[in-house]
Amino acid sequence: MSVQRHELHLLTGSYALNALTDDERADFEKHLERCPSCTEEIRGLRETAARLAMATAVTPPPEMRARVLAAAPRTRQLPPPGRNLLARAGDRARLRRLPLSRASITAGIVTLAAAVAFLLVTQISTNRQLHQAQASSSAIAAVLAAPDARIESVPATVGGTVTAVMSVREHEAVVTTANVPSLPETKVYQLWIMTAAGAAESAGLLTVTSSGSTGPFLASGVLPGDRLGITVEPAGGTAQPTTTPVVIMPVTA
Amino acid sequence: MNTSTTRPEQPGPDRAEGGGRDPAELLPLVARGDQAAFETVYDQFAGPVYGLVRKVLRDPAQSEEVAQEVLLEVWRTASRFDPARGSAAAWVMTIAHHRAVDRVRSENAGLAREQKLTLGPVTGDDVAELVETALDRQRVRRCIGALTALQAEAVKLAYYGGYTYPQVAELLKVPLGTVKTRIRDGLIRLRDCMEVTW
Repeated sequence: MSVQRHELHLLTGSYALNALTDDERADFEKHLERCPSCTEEIRGLRETAARLAMATAVTPPPEMRARVLAAAPRTRQLPPPGRNLLARAGDRARLRRLPLSRASITAGIVTLAAAVAFLLVTQISTNRQLHQAQASSSAIAAVLAAPDARIESVPATVGGTVTAVMSVREHEAVVTTANVPSLPETKVYQLWIMTAAGAAESAGLLTVTSSGSTGPFLASGVLPGDRLGITVEPAGGTAQPTTTPVVIMPVTA
Repeated sequence: MNTSTTRPEQPGPDRAEGGGRDPAELLPLVARGDQAAFETVYDQFAGPVYGLVRKVLRDPAQSEEVAQEVLLEVWRTASRFDPARGSAAAWVMTIAHHRAVDRVRSENAGLAREQKLTLGPVTGDDVAELVETALDRQRVRRCIGALTALQAEAVKLAYYGGYTYPQVAELLKVPLGTVKTRIRDGLIRLRDCMEVTW
């Protein structure tokens, strides 16, 4: 991207109004990490947008109230933001300066930790074993079997295809890739859950085999309105995306 | 703790309606599963959430569906609200706007909606049953009235219309850079006019 810095700063308004395209938003969020004055400005502009929103208030359909209040107790709530498994202390300090809700691991920290650990351990096994072992993981099976499971396939900008099976009911997505280029040892593909509020939460690192595929990878705590994104990051991963995603897919109910 | 000590004299979005309890204090209770607190939060935000979503989506049935999802997401994700980062209203309305816009952009807007916009641009006056937030509404209208025509159109199309700024540029037949700038300086003027203190 050859956009000048001062031009990027002009995007604060459009960002606060959620009027950037997906690509630009990703670039701009990268810029935000290094631009405390943008962050500060966005905070005030988002509050301003909230006033615009509050002024649109109309009486909602009365049946809506009973429906939402009845659904709440049947809806599991997200736990408080836990420690990001990949974040180091310095990264966490950096995250705090972001204007958006705190990045963190979402629901299913345990599942995710297990999935990451499992993935690292099984790197040494053959792709076939990896695939079979992971497919048998009950969490992944639950997503694949969920009645509301949707499958979405999107080409990656670097080549190859990313496929996700998403279940809004399970709040999980299973991600696989095919034919994506393998990376040098110093780089890694990292999967992100990008929330509706604009925060990015790492869902873990994808291990791509020499044939360009990854075994099914579980992303937990996925909500409708979120987007799944994959970026290329330094080996070991980062706390926040530092490059433009090679793929973005919306999570819809 | 009463947050009015940190945000003095502000009618602010967080105390607009319903129950008079600061939603920034209620959301942590909601995060613990407190349904009474959620009811209050619902009553404070259902009107604006439904209003905003309807403004963007137009279709009442679809709007109701999305508004419900938004309010349930407030319940689900209440633990993620961080008062240090902004007001409860900004948090809730950000979720609402993103949901509405995601619906529009993922379903390619639907032709009907685009036609409606061509026939009559978003005016801010086209919804029935306005809720009694006269003060806030008047103030917003007055401040929008103080913008240049281009600033006002650009901000309204982007926010109430749910368009990306390149789409706004196309609709208004002005260069991209101009729209970018007008949206930003328009919003800054609104911020100052409404005395937003964040």
